[in-house]
Amino acid sequence: MKNSKKTKKGLIVGFFFAALFAGLFSSCEKAVAAKEDPESMKVYGESEAEMTAPPFVPRPVGKRAATKLIVNMEVIEKEMEMSDGVTYVYWTFDGTVPGSFIRTRVGDEIEFHFKNHPDSKLPHNIDLHAVTGPGGGAESSFVAPGHESVFTFKTMNPGLYVYHCATAPVGMHIANGMYGLILVEPEGGLPPVDKEYYVMQGDFYTEGENGERGLQAFSMEKAVNEDADYVVFNGKVGGLTGDNALTAKVGETVRLYVGNGGPNLVSSFHVIGEIFDKVYVEGGAMINENVQTTLIPAGGAAIVEFKVEVPGNLVLVDHSIFRAFNKGALGILKVEGEENPKVFGGKIEEKVYNPGTSVSGVTEEATEGGLSAEMSMAEKMERGKQVYTQNCLACHQATGAGIPNAFPPLASSDYLNKDVHRAIEVVKFGLTGEIQVNGNVYNSAMPKQNISDEDVAAVLTYVYNNWGNNKSEVTQEMVKKVK
Amino acid sequence: MKTLIRLAVCIAVMIQSQAYSQSGSMVEVKGGEFIPLYGTKTEVPVGDFLMDVYPVTNAEFQQFVESNPRWRKSQVKKLFADDNYLRNWKDDLSLGEGMLPNSPVTNVSWYAAKNYCECQGKRLPTVDEWEYVAMANEKQPDARTEKTYNQFILSWYETPDTYKKTIGNTFKNYWGVYDLHGLVWEWTSDFNSVMIGGESRKDSTGDNNLFCGAAAVGATDLMNYAAFMRYAFRGSMKAQYSVKNLGFRCVQDVEKSEL
Amino acid sequence: MTMKNLIYILLAAFLFTACNNAEKKETEVENDLAETKVSAENKELPELSIYNLPSTWTTQNGENIQLEDLRGNVLVMVMIYTSCKAACPRLVADMRNIEKQVPEGDLDNVKFIMVSIDPETDTPKRLKEFSIENDMEDDHWLFLRGTPEDTREFATVLAVSYKKISPIDFSHSNIISVFDEEGVLVHQQEGLGVDNTETIQAITTEVSN
Repeated sequence: MKNSKKTKKGLIVGFFFAALFAGLFSSCEKAVAAKEDPESMKVYGESEAEMTAPPFVPRPVGKRAATKLIVNMEVIEKEMEMSDGVTYVYWTFDGTVPGSFIRTRVGDEIEFHFKNHPDSKLPHNIDLHAVTGPGGGAESSFVAPGHESVFTFKTMNPGLYVYHCATAPVGMHIANGMYGLILVEPEGGLPPVDKEYYVMQGDFYTEGENGERGLQAFSMEKAVNEDADYVVFNGKVGGLTGDNALTAKVGETVRLYVGNGGPNLVSSFHVIGEIFDKVYVEGGAMINENVQTTLIPAGGAAIVEFKVEVPGNLVLVDHSIFRAFNKGALGILKVEGEENPKVFGGKIEEKVYNPGTSVSGVTEEATEGGLSAEMSMAEKMERGKQVYTQNCLACHQATGAGIPNAFPPLASSDYLNKDVHRAIEVVKFGLTGEIQVNGNVYNSAMPKQNISDEDVAAVLTYVYNNWGNNKSEVTQEMVKKVK
Repeated sequence: MKTLIRLAVCIAVMIQSQAYSQSGSMVEVKGGEFIPLYGTKTEVPVGDFLMDVYPVTNAEFQQFVESNPRWRKSQVKKLFADDNYLRNWKDDLSLGEGMLPNSPVTNVSWYAAKNYCECQGKRLPTVDEWEYVAMANEKQPDARTEKTYNQFILSWYETPDTYKKTIGNTFKNYWGVYDLHGLVWEWTSDFNSVMIGGESRKDSTGDNNLFCGAAAVGATDLMNYAAFMRYAFRGSMKAQYSVKNLGFRCVQDVEKSEL
Repeated sequence: MTMKNLIYILLAAFLFTACNNAEKKETEVENDLAETKVSAENKELPELSIYNLPSTWTTQNGENIQLEDLRGNVLVMVMIYTSCKAACPRLVADMRNIEKQVPEGDLDNVKFIMVSIDPETDTPKRLKEFSIENDMEDDHWLFLRGTPEDTREFATVLAVSYKKISPIDFSHSNIISVFDEEGVLVHQQEGLGVDNTETIQAITTEVSN
């Protein structure tokens, strides 16, 4: 009661701005004025919403009429992998992070059945940004463990919206993975495309530092300080790489529904090697074209579309780039098909460049560090796996299979097994030019890896003792000798 | 006559349970004043009382329903317990598979818990009483500022299936009470004094004209999210709810025990 | 047998009456059933009926009643406290608005009940004064006061939350509940000054049943 005055004032200011906006947009409003008011749209029939786990999305609504749509969703609290050897107790919508993708069209009457698994420790709720109404449904959906609440709403505005849990402490529920996307398609549906995927970024805060193994507890302190240990796509490091990579074929148009659950960080979403032909800015009706990087606020979303013209691995990143390479915000869209030199010719020549001058002040000197204590075989394997994951996996893949025509395989590799010293040389100093591996010719470049001799020994030992290789053990001594 | 027989049975059962049940034992908690983590910004007084050392166990509740048929799962009235009541029990009188007699009883409604305590000559603790005892660690009566104390609590909130553990599994606190944190949530007599609704964000905006005196209601320390979760849990409960992670224990006023 | 155990027996005997009140009552009802003809009042209660709650209340006129004495009426209930200056006057106004819209002929079968959440302050005398101040003196207005424990339990049935936040003030939820003639909850409206069409409809539907 005390605050009613203040609220009123806020409302008046709000109305003022609303009026201002209405004025500004009145000209374009007219163009769409003929469209039916969603509130009065009739619904036909009743069906159960198809729900999909990321990175997949349900079938498009197409030309279907507005309907009564039953949505079933269940809150599950469970331990899952955050990164190699790191686990976390996630709170989830339907058992995945992000939660199931909900697809509706404008004018649908949604009957939302919101369940909280009996094993849950905590009550939860859902605030859907697509809802016009108090709390986005938060209060109506509040549900104790082992119970279900049902609430209804009508989808009034087309667009891509975030949903999330809003139970106290709100930040913690979001930080533990409680978010997802709901799409409200316009009448007649979005224009058809060849591939659609669901990608959502989130930041995580753990008691241990990034990479610290074992079950990690949530750190409220770091969350408050916005000091994220992990920034990831689809709930974990590697959520969109390796076996989880997205795929498309040359010539296809790809549409990504990209959300950002937060809780804290804003995403500078970028796909390395592509330009977004279209961006539905902030998930709304405005379309921007030819965009390199689009900003996705915490608790916001965007739809991006692009046609893939050439084969290769496109890399999805948060272009706040340390998040991508050090905290996990990296995904792969694998494009297969014919090369198209018209669009991308690739490297056609490489020559020596020697301007004959020197840039003063820089003297290159190889670091001649002493040897640290040699690791045991087991230590090397563990350390090697980490080094591999950070430095090699993106190209040579998790199983050492490489990528055809681009990156040679390390699995059962004749090239590797023939000469361990050559392998050390390659890792230490890089390799360019044509080589033949297992009968296939590769002509690309591998940069020198800026890692310690100790790590070179570890990672090569790891590679040699995996995937059908000859089980050589590489020592620091051997690495040091290669100059 | 019928009543008399029942009386006798009830007494017999109680003697028996006193004889071997370890959780029949209570310890005295010296009252005092404290500022709870939610609900008020001023000190609240807590009187002296006795509290059960352990949460009520499956075995103890089994005896209770044996002598009080109206709390058997086939007979309980819907007003007093939802369909999850004693959900994992095999039938009216036997525990389900894998359930240990010495684990805390869960899936019990507030009405059942309340009546259980009444039949023992006890009552459910108030939220303030429960919180007062539960802010102790092994050494101090108020350990709320200790990092380790908070971490312990949080880690159990994040550990699944703790309700399957047996009583006495966690530390003995300053007052001699076990398992306030670590096994199950516990019913309190005035759980419905919590004003956290589903829309918790309203609580911090102060735009809360639904409630009288709302301005005085709020967390004293938002950082203590462990307590906040506990209050949110209470806020999500209705008295007929029976939840897998929710049990109870009883308390008794000191004067009454000296009867 | 030790002294301690003896005390426990005494204790048990003493408390038994309290803890198994409800059951004893049921037994009596059973006996009544056996001996007398079945009247409507003695028909078995629906499981969800609030009349399953055994508690005694005092009215604004100082009479003691059992909840079950109200059986046969449609009940419109709200929990308030008379010294409340913020939400309760509006809740009381909401109740009055509802009452005004119930057809005169139906009013004989409806009770509008205000249950105090502050029984310490709200003595029967205070409740009486309150009813006069608010011009709620017709028979269909009922003000009830119980023990703190019974009040808390009653609130759980209405899903009403309340908390004492100072010596004179409570925070509480604003819910008006409608019960049918058998004491089963049929409708609730939450909030202050909300649209009461459905509430009134629920009342008239129940009265005509």
